[in-house]
Amino acid sequence: MSGAAGSGSGSGAGAAGSVGSVVRRFLVEYGSGTPSRLKVLDAYLLYVLLTGALQFGYCLGVGTFPFNSFLSGFISAVGSFILGVCLRIQINPQNKGEFQGISPERAFADFLFANTILHLVVINFVG
Amino acid sequence: MAAPGPRLRLAVAAALLLLAGAQALAPSHRLTGRDLARLRAALERPFADLQAAFHSIVGLSNLGVRVADEKAACNFIKSNVDSSSVDSLFYAAQSIQVLSGCEVTVSNETRELLLGAVSEDSSVTQIFHAVGALSGFGLPLASQEALSALTARLSKEESVLATIQALETASYLSQQADLSGIVEEIEDLVARLDDLGGVYLQFEEGIETTALFVAATYKLSDHVGTEPAVKEDQIIQLMNAIFSKKNFETLSEAFSVACAAGSLSRNRYHLPVIIVPDGPAAVSHHQPVLRLQVTNVMSQPLTQASVKLDYAKSASTKATVLQQTAFALSGDTFELNFMNVKPASGYYDFSISVDGDKRFISNKVELKVKVSTEVGITNVDLSTVDKDQSIAPKTTRVVYPAKAKGSFTADSHQNFALSFQLIDVNSGAELIPHQTFVRLHNQKTGQEVVFVAEPDSKNVYKFELDTSERKTEFDSASGTYTLYLIVGDATLENPILWNVADVVIKFPEEDAPSTVQSKNLFVPKPEIQHLFREPEKRPPTVVSNTFTALILSPLLLLLILWIKIGANISNFSFAPSTIIFHMGHAAMLGLMYVYWTQLNMFQTLKYLAILGGVTFLAGNRMLAQKAVKRTH
Repeated sequence: MSGAAGSGSGSGAGAAGSVGSVVRRFLVEYGSGTPSRLKVLDAYLLYVLLTGALQFGYCLGVGTFPFNSFLSGFISAVGSFILGVCLRIQINPQNKGEFQGISPERAFADFLFANTILHLVVINFVG
Repeated sequence: MAAPGPRLRLAVAAALLLLAGAQALAPSHRLTGRDLARLRAALERPFADLQAAFHSIVGLSNLGVRVADEKAACNFIKSNVDSSSVDSLFYAAQSIQVLSGCEVTVSNETRELLLGAVSEDSSVTQIFHAVGALSGFGLPLASQEALSALTARLSKEESVLATIQALETASYLSQQADLSGIVEEIEDLVARLDDLGGVYLQFEEGIETTALFVAATYKLSDHVGTEPAVKEDQIIQLMNAIFSKKNFETLSEAFSVACAAGSLSRNRYHLPVIIVPDGPAAVSHHQPVLRLQVTNVMSQPLTQASVKLDYAKSASTKATVLQQTAFALSGDTFELNFMNVKPASGYYDFSISVDGDKRFISNKVELKVKVSTEVGITNVDLSTVDKDQSIAPKTTRVVYPAKAKGSFTADSHQNFALSFQLIDVNSGAELIPHQTFVRLHNQKTGQEVVFVAEPDSKNVYKFELDTSERKTEFDSASGTYTLYLIVGDATLENPILWNVADVVIKFPEEDAPSTVQSKNLFVPKPEIQHLFREPEKRPPTVVSNTFTALILSPLLLLLILWIKIGANISNFSFAPSTIIFHMGHAAMLGLMYVYWTQLNMFQTLKYLAILGGVTFLAGNRMLAQKAVKRTH
């Protein structure tokens, strides 16, 4: 759980050239090098991303009526994604040096607070 | 818009100056016979007191009218005079001067009183009344002393009325005294007059003061023998102001106007002349003589004057038709037979001058005279002209005022045409009147359409009716129309409305209106149905339901992923703060749902504040505990 050094690059160069091997290598590195807390968060981010993409696709398909609902849903997705990314950055033990005064708990509290405000506005707008 | 350039402004100013110099001001107001009667009536009231008696008697004498009962007036004065009052003595003295055979004995005391009043310590009014009384009673007066007292007092009292009274006082003083100082006051007073629109000149104190000024000025000027320093235009403007007042509120006002009228009609220097046409300024064959009333300001005819026409020019062509002709005196008016020169009909600018006395002012006047005539219609031809030019036009001649027999047809094959000439019956010259209309009146529907007939280069009037061109004016209503010819002008004595013929107009059938539309504006209009906003197109319910289900699928994916990753919930401690935190958080999410369905922002914020506060505190505690646990 506590950090192993370096995600991503690690020791040595991956298989040269082939995209597939790069991807596979990335997945392996990701699986081993990332703490599970971050993986949980990444899953959440993926969920939010998919939700937003589906909303956008639906809007492209059937039209923008009612536009405010589409906007509020889409902005909810986008906003949540951004806040999740912020939380991930702040929690990541590798970035501890950047966030001296902010503990992970503090980051989580901020995340909850910001989400509350975001969803208050979103619910107001959804109509 | 940009301001006019300096050059343009200069040109305008120069033009105005030229105009101002070219035309002297003409009097716009005078005392007509009716005004004089009203003035007399205002003055002929029964005497209320000695001052009223003075105003009436002296005012009427200025108008050249004697008081009705002079004996009664004399008795009134004798019984009302107050020997201890300088004013009373003045009124009495001036009044008895006018009444014949009226004497008032003056005691020595009275004389002393009057002489004593002539000093620097009395007001100008007192000095004026004292001097006037002494002069009226024929008592000796030291003119030089009186003059010095007056001058000294005048330098202290600067009001307009005081200066006017000083002028009057000086007119009672002997000519041996040097009255030039007082005479100069006339010029100063003229400078204090207000110019109203270039037409009126009056003191701001009012008409009464202005009238008294005029009377005093001429009285003094006649007495001293010097022409008053008032320009001709200023005299006219003063006249306009004084005689613009036709109703008099007080007796003193009527008195002042009467004095002014009297002085302007008989003084040694300026006699304003009023030249007005007798009746309308129009001549014709029935009335060939132009009559002028040439009078002074009191409408008394100046029969000694010689009235001359300088020139008479046509207003349109500016050609001189007559010049340097004298008017002949006939009774009280001057007349001239203008039709002798056989002028064409129209308007003429007359310039008339009156001479005979050096004192005449405003004796040149410009007059616009109308010469009327009678019109005759000749060569009236009605024809139907075939459009294809295949058939020769059929022409019918009609003579005014008969009506053409038979009717004429205008339809898609043929046009209807009318031509005529207008001549001056008396001279035979061709006329172009202002109004030459052709009126077509639908007998059945009451519609009427009016066209203007235009003259061509040979002064022949033509009117052509083409049914295809004119169908909009007629609303394509076919039928029988009565044709009228209307001729009128300001200089015509016999305007013409002539039913010339009947015209049957046929419009092509497809354009005919289904019903005769009377253009009634006050019937209900067709109702406007409100179009509600169309609702937006929505996708069918199946599609949106499918999508809703689809949207929930990532959530499923998330749960699966979390289980796979092995999200750790084993560390869930059942501390109270944790429970409260999670419950509070769940409640906040529930609040969001309730907000969506029921609440408004304010209620939500209220509940959110409470829940949020609780959750925050609990969460703070929980996270702190976590942090502590972590660092250990």
